[in-house]
Amino acid sequence: MKVVFLARKFEDGDKISEYVKSLAEALVERGHGAAIIAFDDGAYYSIDKRVEVIRTDLHYEGDSLYSWSMMLNNEMKEKARELLEDREFDIIHANDWSTVPGATAMKEYLDRPMVLTIHSTENERGFSDPNSSLISEMEWKGCKSADKVLVNSEDTLNSVKFDLEVPEEKVKIKDPILDAWPEPALKIYESLINVEEVKN
Amino acid sequence: MRPLFITWEYPPYKAGGIAAHCEDLATTMASQGHEPVVITYGEREEKEYRDGVEIHRVPANDHADNTISWAMSLADRMEKKGIHLARQKNFDLIHGHDWMAVPAATGLKKTLDLPMVFTVHSTQKGRDGIDSDYQRAIHNLEWYGTYEASEVITVGRDFCDEVKDNYNVSDKKINYIPNGVNLEKFDETNASLQRNNFALDWEQIVLFVGRMYPQKGPGHLIEAMPHILEEKPEAKFVMCGSGATEHYKGIAKDQVGDKVHFPGYVSDQALVGLMKEAEITVAPSVYEPFGIVPLEAAACETATVGSYTGGMKDTIVHEYTGLHTYPEDSGSISHQVSRALNDPGWSDWLGDNARERVEDNFRWEQISAWTTGVYTQALE
Repeated sequence: MKVVFLARKFEDGDKISEYVKSLAEALVERGHGAAIIAFDDGAYYSIDKRVEVIRTDLHYEGDSLYSWSMMLNNEMKEKARELLEDREFDIIHANDWSTVPGATAMKEYLDRPMVLTIHSTENERGFSDPNSSLISEMEWKGCKSADKVLVNSEDTLNSVKFDLEVPEEKVKIKDPILDAWPEPALKIYESLINVEEVKN
Repeated sequence: MRPLFITWEYPPYKAGGIAAHCEDLATTMASQGHEPVVITYGEREEKEYRDGVEIHRVPANDHADNTISWAMSLADRMEKKGIHLARQKNFDLIHGHDWMAVPAATGLKKTLDLPMVFTVHSTQKGRDGIDSDYQRAIHNLEWYGTYEASEVITVGRDFCDEVKDNYNVSDKKINYIPNGVNLEKFDETNASLQRNNFALDWEQIVLFVGRMYPQKGPGHLIEAMPHILEEKPEAKFVMCGSGATEHYKGIAKDQVGDKVHFPGYVSDQALVGLMKEAEITVAPSVYEPFGIVPLEAAACETATVGSYTGGMKDTIVHEYTGLHTYPEDSGSISHQVSRALNDPGWSDWLGDNARERVEDNFRWEQISAWTTGVYTQALE
């Protein structure tokens, strides 16, 4: 089993980065494959050497986080396609809205299982960005495309269910702070792989 | 070949010249045996076949903060449509038009692993500068498009140098292919114009067609109007186009009263009628990468008085198919328009030459062939 993770940034101490790192390291520990695609901001990170970290450069500054992220995703698509198509990665795992365009493009083009973790929703963050409506729409699109949506808390679960209209059976709370972590997430990967095998 | 066109405007949605360009190019390619597919903006998701071209429309999110975010959001929908289509049919390449197509065209290029051709129709720097963050972000997108493209097409000879300098594009991948004119469209249009709605019988129509923005120079023509009328009281100025119409109308009415008419929305048919009826068209642009008006007027056998700038250096041959003026110089406009109006036989001769030159040099059949030649280079 090989999982490619998309994260806007990847640096020590960042909450989403630590979440991705814990899953990626758990996968390689168990003999699976893991790769992380993130923006190359020059940040320092430490991770098990068996995890492949692919940094994407972006020669676009943009005038907003939204437009910058959209263009970053174009770079991520190229790297993700190489992993999924040429190197037979099985699953794409996106994190928050800022990696949804890349993940959904891969899901649509290569028909691979997609997991999306919503670490928080735009509604929870206060809907205060000039492009909040577009960001929230991206969350909605990501949840719609994903085979499974993961959240870390009850609050986000409620927001995902009510603000983003995600059906209850599609979303799961898997809190990385609990002792059992990351087994519940790995089981979700396995179940998606099994579904793929049945389909094939 | 099966190119996938990405353009934010395609008829009947038209804001500038990109829509007509894409339609004429795609239609001509289809008539030559190619299979162009177009993804563009629409109010709702729909698909249509027109003149051999498969057209897919996707809506945009209207809650965007500005045009860049709007284009990014539209791009995401365009890209998903493109991916969906690519699973059913193989595209040879992606052909994006102007900066608003860059996010979707580059996204599709990277997802589908296809070459990309990028046509630059105008630049942010030329349109209204790169002073604000917003303007710089558009400039940056234009650069990104030229950087990611295997081949870049520009529509004007001078403009080719401008694009090379602005974005450091190498000589190897930049191509100059002019715009064209669909002569049949002009010939077949039944131009039964209600002339009395625009001018009196004895008046000579001096026609301006274009968006009413400083870039198109309507202010310079308005400044020249009183001087032209002193020389030629028969002149009647007809100003067609959208934009800051009320602003320019107020200034022009103050200057020359009833001798200028702003008809507001004019149908394509009436516009062709006006071009055929006009004594002369005036294109006083300050910045004009190509400038289609002189060619459209030429299709109607009408000569153009146009600024010696950008593409009009090529599309007007001074004293053969029209007259050049110094850019941003109302005295020069006044002088050349008066010359043309004072000698109707000569301006007719200029108009005839203009038509002949368009027939020989600006036909879409030829432009389509050049474009597919560029596609071949991109695929190598």
